[in-house]
Amino acid sequence: MLRYIVLRLVLLIPVLLGVSLIVFVLLHLGNGDPALDYLRLSQIPPTDAALAEARHALGLDRPLPEQYFTWLWNAVHLDFGVSYITGRPVLEDLLYYLPATLQLGGLALLVTLLMSIPLGLAAARWKGRWPDQVVRFITFIGVSMPNFWLAFLLIALLSLWLGWLPPMGRGGPEHLIMPVLAIALMSMSINARLLRASLLDVRQHRHVFYARARGLNERQVWRDHILRNAWMPLVTATGMHIGELLGGALVIETIFAWPGVGRFAVSAVLNRDFPVMQCFTLLLTTLLVLCNLVVDICYAWLDPRTRLSGVMA
Amino acid sequence: MKQSRTKKQLALLILGACLSAAVTPAFSADPAPTLTYSWPTNAGPLDPRGYSPNQMYAQAMVYEPLVRYTAQGTLEPWLATHWTVSPDGKTYTFTLRDGVKFSDGSPFNAAAAKANLDAVLANSKRHQWMELVSTLERVEAPDEHTLVLQLKHPYYPTLMELAQVRPLRFAAPDAKPGTPVGTGPWVLTQTRRGEYDRFDRNEHYWGAQPAYGSVVVKVISDPDSRAIALQTGELDLIQGAEGEISPGTFVRLRDSGFKAAISAPLATRTVAMNTGLAPTNELAVRQAINQAVDKDTIIAKVLHGLEPRADALFASNMPYANLGLKALPYDPQHARQRLDEAGWKLPPGKTIRVKDGEPLSIELVFLGTSALQKSLAEIIQGQLANVGIAVKLRAEEDGALVQRQREGRFGMIFADTWGAPYDPHSFVSSMRYAGHADYMAQRGLPMKDAIDHKIAEVFAQTDETQRAEGYREILSTLHDQAVYLPISHLTAISVSGKNVDNVQFGSTLFDVPFEVMRPATGKP
Repeated sequence: MLRYIVLRLVLLIPVLLGVSLIVFVLLHLGNGDPALDYLRLSQIPPTDAALAEARHALGLDRPLPEQYFTWLWNAVHLDFGVSYITGRPVLEDLLYYLPATLQLGGLALLVTLLMSIPLGLAAARWKGRWPDQVVRFITFIGVSMPNFWLAFLLIALLSLWLGWLPPMGRGGPEHLIMPVLAIALMSMSINARLLRASLLDVRQHRHVFYARARGLNERQVWRDHILRNAWMPLVTATGMHIGELLGGALVIETIFAWPGVGRFAVSAVLNRDFPVMQCFTLLLTTLLVLCNLVVDICYAWLDPRTRLSGVMA
Repeated sequence: MKQSRTKKQLALLILGACLSAAVTPAFSADPAPTLTYSWPTNAGPLDPRGYSPNQMYAQAMVYEPLVRYTAQGTLEPWLATHWTVSPDGKTYTFTLRDGVKFSDGSPFNAAAAKANLDAVLANSKRHQWMELVSTLERVEAPDEHTLVLQLKHPYYPTLMELAQVRPLRFAAPDAKPGTPVGTGPWVLTQTRRGEYDRFDRNEHYWGAQPAYGSVVVKVISDPDSRAIALQTGELDLIQGAEGEISPGTFVRLRDSGFKAAISAPLATRTVAMNTGLAPTNELAVRQAINQAVDKDTIIAKVLHGLEPRADALFASNMPYANLGLKALPYDPQHARQRLDEAGWKLPPGKTIRVKDGEPLSIELVFLGTSALQKSLAEIIQGQLANVGIAVKLRAEEDGALVQRQREGRFGMIFADTWGAPYDPHSFVSSMRYAGHADYMAQRGLPMKDAIDHKIAEVFAQTDETQRAEGYREILSTLHDQAVYLPISHLTAISVSGKNVDNVQFGSTLFDVPFEVMRPATGKP
């Protein structure tokens, strides 16, 4: 097991290298010039001289390979450069904003799991009856509605109309409700539908039939024979939802003026703040790879068959 | 007798003290009120000579200039009460205001002022975009209240550039590095990254104390979220000239009972036409375009009537720009006739005019991320199609658009003027340099060299009448040559709740005069 984890962590290095190179190339292939953005934000007229000065100050006047390798060398030493826009070390800024995003994303994940499991169970248990209909209706809406639209609807209802919740900012628990709901609804809906489908599928399996034939009561059949086998797709999906939840946070943080890494990254993209974008993609990549690793480990732990088929080798 | 009077006075004093002691808690329960405002990012470290991420509205709250730009395009005394210019236009002598202190209590005097300007000169490469910085030879402080600027050659916009928000304002020279200490009415007291900045009253301020005790500026980047924040009372004020909210939202908030106002013109929304590229190299085509576009409809339909129509490159409230220039009136019939006379004929059954086998087709470049410019571009496209001109729309990103402006890769392109206090002098000055939209637009004019020569002359001109005459010549020529299609004048908008009184506009694109705003009486 330990060897497997170490191997996966070592594999993270080429992944990060590849991602950094691709992002660097894409950024520099794009139209536009960060020096021009810097001048625009500084309200400095973009004269030739001002542009040359800005390019020099930002290090953009050096050849591209040199820029990349300097960046890489520094990045290996955990120095991800200085933001073109805020003038502060990129990593420091990102780590400053990260906890707020993790709070939002973590809670959204919790809500996703806590709500999707009972909903999925209820829908499968009473398939075709009213609980199923209700769950299918909710999840249909949830899967179809873009999160930013849901966010504005929630604000219109709960802040503007009823005045129950603050429309923005970070503070007490009341500040969390709307952004978390807006982020979580889609993943929650997907999960609930997945669990329902998976339960209905497992229910048809022969081992369930035999379990009933052995005279086990319905409760035992569901708990030990249906549920245990139906978990598996959910674990995989949860791994993927982490990426989705963080992606959702990018948009939702901007709407709710949430001081997280997502909003910071969005403004970096709009202003071509290359160092921030590079570091942000690496940070997200690392986070996702680690989450996938955890999911794989959970998988191996939950399902002995995957252990036998080589994961543990 | 005398003693009894003293006793009486003493008794009164004690009574007064008791009364005030009894009353004070009631007042202190209602401390100096706070005004909440919003901005897309934090204010930044507020270095008086720093650019991005230092936000200009915040620098203008904390640091003050020698002379201040007014909404009428004139200058008024500020940290300098009086100034003289030598006859050769090379020496500016300022008398500094007496009794001005920095927010840490240290005095603002000639030595402090010189230290600030010397710091700019020491780093002149960074500030060279401002012509005064490269024109300034040295700064002298002959006594406590006299500051002398010695220029290399006469440069008339010296005072205009001294009025700008950066880099020529003043911070306490002995302040701890990284702590913003200015003479302005506000002091930055707290910054929470990504959340808010808090400014408190400067207790040492030389002018009238602001009515608000503090201004809290929340970090909100999304325009819709900003409008919601105003509606729910999280904000007291939305104000600015950089698309703080969309024109539609402005109208909606105004109609739902918020106090709303529009400033005097601050800049001009124009489309520059490329005189170096066919077919806009023909005067008749440029004039026809000016006549074929119905600005009033554009303003009513797209801009919700929020921007006044522009007839010339600069609004008449800009310095030297009150020239009475008249736009060619909207007259599509006359435009068609003009094109016919210039040889651009409409072949039977066709919708696009042709001359020598070439179609009358122009590429209009706009900012693809701006919904507003897209609408404007589409309307212009429709209106020009009406007279037989085909317009190809080309959406570009921010940086790429500037790149096209600089390289002259456009038929027509959206190019706003820089606005007060850069208009007209900095804007006109830049017309001389390749790498500017305006140079690129004008380069095909037969009199381009003469225009550039005239601009240089105006800048070294020490005689006010002659200078005004020079501006008249430059601006009239550009107007007559129809290089620009001026559409409307950009304005700042302001929306506030009922709890704010005396909301006013700053005189430039970059300042918000929080110090004159007051809490509405009867409500904290």
